[in-house]
Amino acid sequence: MLRLFSSPRWDLPVYWALDLETGGLDVRHDPIIAVGMVPVRNGVIQLGESFDTLVRPDPGRAIRPESVRAHQLLAGDLRKSPPLAAVLQEVDRRLEGGVLLVHNRGIDIPFLKGGHARSGLPWKKPRVVDTVDLIVKAASRRRFLRPEGETMPSLNLSEARRVNGLPDYQAHDALVDAIATAELFLVLRHVIGAKTLRDLR
Amino acid sequence: MAALDPLAFVRSTPPFDALPPELFDGAARTLEVIYHPAGTKLVTVGEEPLRHLYVIRKGVVRLERGGQTIQVLEEGEVFGYTSLLTGKATLDGVVDEDLLAYRIPADEFQRLMTDAPFAAHFTTGLANRLEASLENSPVVTFRVDLAAAVASLVRRPAVWVDAESTVGDAARVMTEERVSSVLVRGETPGIVTDRDFRSKVLAQGLGAKEPLARIVTRPFRGVESSMPVHEAWTVLLDANVHHLPVIRDGEIIGVITDTDLLKHTSQGPVAVLRLVEKLPGRQSLPGYARKVTEMVASLLAGGLNPVVIAGFVAQLNDALMKRILHWAHEELGEPPAPYAWIALGSEGRQEQTLLTDQDNAIVFADEGASSGEYYTALADRANTDLAAAGFPRCPGGYMARNHCATLTEWRERFTGWVDDPSAQGVLEAAIFFDFRRVAGTLDLSPLQEVMDGIPRREAFLRGMVKQALEFRPPPLLGLRIRGGAELDLKRQGIAPVVFLARCYGLAVGSHARNTLERLRAATRAGLMGTDASANVIDSYRYLLGLRLRMQLKAVSVGKPPTNVVSLSDVSAIERSRLKDTLRAISSWQDKAAYRYQVV
Repeated sequence: MLRLFSSPRWDLPVYWALDLETGGLDVRHDPIIAVGMVPVRNGVIQLGESFDTLVRPDPGRAIRPESVRAHQLLAGDLRKSPPLAAVLQEVDRRLEGGVLLVHNRGIDIPFLKGGHARSGLPWKKPRVVDTVDLIVKAASRRRFLRPEGETMPSLNLSEARRVNGLPDYQAHDALVDAIATAELFLVLRHVIGAKTLRDLR
Repeated sequence: MAALDPLAFVRSTPPFDALPPELFDGAARTLEVIYHPAGTKLVTVGEEPLRHLYVIRKGVVRLERGGQTIQVLEEGEVFGYTSLLTGKATLDGVVDEDLLAYRIPADEFQRLMTDAPFAAHFTTGLANRLEASLENSPVVTFRVDLAAAVASLVRRPAVWVDAESTVGDAARVMTEERVSSVLVRGETPGIVTDRDFRSKVLAQGLGAKEPLARIVTRPFRGVESSMPVHEAWTVLLDANVHHLPVIRDGEIIGVITDTDLLKHTSQGPVAVLRLVEKLPGRQSLPGYARKVTEMVASLLAGGLNPVVIAGFVAQLNDALMKRILHWAHEELGEPPAPYAWIALGSEGRQEQTLLTDQDNAIVFADEGASSGEYYTALADRANTDLAAAGFPRCPGGYMARNHCATLTEWRERFTGWVDDPSAQGVLEAAIFFDFRRVAGTLDLSPLQEVMDGIPRREAFLRGMVKQALEFRPPPLLGLRIRGGAELDLKRQGIAPVVFLARCYGLAVGSHARNTLERLRAATRAGLMGTDASANVIDSYRYLLGLRLRMQLKAVSVGKPPTNVVSLSDVSAIERSRLKDTLRAISSWQDKAAYRYQVV
C-alpha cells in the first residue's frame, strides 16, 4: 500500500538551526547582516560544523542605529564580509535535503525569501520546524492535562530557554542564537513527546 | 555563571582551561551538544562504555555502582573518562536532572591526553574515584549560604492534581512536568511522591486505575519559606522524608527535594547521612572521621553555630552506630533479648563536633542474663568498628565491651552512685548520667527513675557540685599575653559549664542531657536567674566556637586538634571576649558554691 502519510523518525533528518541578524524588522528595506547555522544530526548538536558569517550589505541598505547597538556591529566589520548571494549559496548548500530549524519563522523565512529573490536565487522551500510552534504545542499539552493551568507561555527565545531549564546564553549573536534554538528544540521535542518529523511540524 | 556560550564554557572548565590554544581549537571542532531528560541511563555496568568525554552544562548525573551512589556530578563537572580510559563500563551513569552537556569524542580525548597536565587531571584521581569508600569519596567544593531561606531553592511552582485523580493521572502529570512529587487538592492538601508509586502501588500489587486517595500522604510536613536552609536539613532528617513543600503566607509556593538540598551542599549533613546509610560494609568505615571533619568545617565556614553543628554530628554518629549494629546482628544473629546501646559523655549530650574517644555501654534485658557473651561479642565488634571509623578507643575504658550489663545491674550501679557520693562515684555518675539511647529497643526508664530521685538527694548534689567546681577558669590577672599565657579551653572554660549545668539540670529533675537544655531547664525552674543564664549560655557558645575554629585550623595543617589556646594567637577583640566569658562563668560558679555550701 502506498504510505501517503508516513513520516520519518524525528532524529533521522538533519536539522539546520539558523538565525539571522537583520538591520531591522522591515523585510523590504532592512538588510541581513549576519547568519549563524548549526546542524542537529541523530539528535546531537554538532558545534564543529557550525557556520557563521557576517554579510556585506547591498549598497543603499542602511543599518538602523538601534540594531547596531543590539548586535554590537559596526559598518566597518560588514564591508569586509562576503556579499549576500555568496552567503545564501552557502546556506542553501547546507539545507539540501535537511530541515530548516528556526525560532519564529515569521521573521527568518521572509528575510530568506526576500534575500534569495534579490540575489536571483531560487528559494527551494525546505521543510521548516519552528521552536515557537513547539512552545505552543507544549503549552496546549499542559493545558489539556491541567485545564486551569498557566497563562500563555513566553515565546521569547531567552525566556523560553529559562522556562525549560536551559542556561543563559548571550543573545543577539547569530551563531549563539542558532545553538540556543537547537538546544531548545531538543528539550521541547522531548516535552511534547514527538516521535516523527510530522509531530514537530 | 555568566552567559557563556558552549565554547567559552568548556574553555573555562578544568582541565580544558589549561590546554594550549592549538589543542583546544582542535577539540572545539569536534564539540557536540547533547540533551537527555531525567531518568535516562547513559551507561550501564558491563554494557557499552561511553564513547565521549562529557562536560555538564546543566543538570545532574549520578554515578552508581551496585545501587550505591559514588558521585553526584553537576554543572562544570566532567565524566566519561573511566569509560574512555578503561574501555569498559565500570559504573552506572543515570541522569538525575535534565542534562545539557557538551562532549568530545573518544579519539579527540586520546589526542588531548598527549598534553601532560590534561592527562594528569584524569589519571591521578582515577583510583580514588573508583573506590566506593568514604575515604575516597570526592571532596566537593562547598558553596552555600546556610542562612539563605529555603524559598531560594524553590525552582518552580508546585504541581497539583485533583483529589479524585487516579494513580495513573498523577504518574502522567509527574512525567509530563518532570517532577518527583505532586500535591493533591483537598480540605487538607496531600502529597504523592515517586517513592509512593514503588512502595504503595507496585509493591502492593495496585494499578494505574487505583484512586490516588489510597496512597496520598495527608497532611504532610511543610516548611515556612523563610526557614534557613540548615533548619530545612534538620526537618528532612528528623521526618525522614525526601520532599518538603515550602509555604509562604499559607500558600504552597513549591516543593524542594533532598536532592535540592544535596546540591546546595555536597558536604552537608544530608549528603553525609545518605553516604552513611548506604555504607556497604565495615571496610568502608575508614575516612568517616575525615568526612565529618570536612562537613563540620564547611558548616562553620557557612556561618552555623557549633551547637547546631554538634546536633548534625550526633545524628550522623547515631546513623553510623545503627549501621554498625546492623552488621553485627547479621553476623551474630538477632539478640536473644532486647538491649540498648547507650552513648555517654559528650556523645550522650549531643555535643561532639570533631570525633573524640568512644564513650559507650550496653544495657540488656534481664532475660538475656544467661547469654551475656552475645552482648560482649556485639560490643566487641561495635567498638572495633567505631575505632575503624575514627573514634579512638577510650583510654579511661568507658566502652561497651567493658560496660555491658543487665538492666538490674545497671540500676544497682546508678542507685549506688546516688546513695554514696564518694569522689570516684560522683565522677563515674557524671559520665553515665549523660547517657542517651542511640540504638536498641530496651526501655531504660528504670535508670531514668533513679535519676529522677536526685532533686531530693542533697548530699549527692553537693558532692557533684563540689566535683564540678574543681574545674575553674584561671584567675583573670594571669591572662596576659606577655607572660605567654595559655588557656585550656576545655578544662578551664567548657568543662566548668558542662559539669555545673549537669548538676543544675539533675537538681531540677530535668531529663535533658544537652548542656544548653539543662541550663534552660534550670532557668525555667528558677534555680538560675535569667540574666546569669543568658550570660553563661553566650559564654559557652563562644567557647565552643573558638575551640572548634582552632581545632579545624590545627587539623587543616595536619596537627592533632588541641584544646589549648595561646593568648598571643588570638586577636585583641577575641581576648577581651574571652575574659568576659571567663568572668561570667566564674561568677556563676561562685553563686553555686554559695548555694550548695561548697567551699
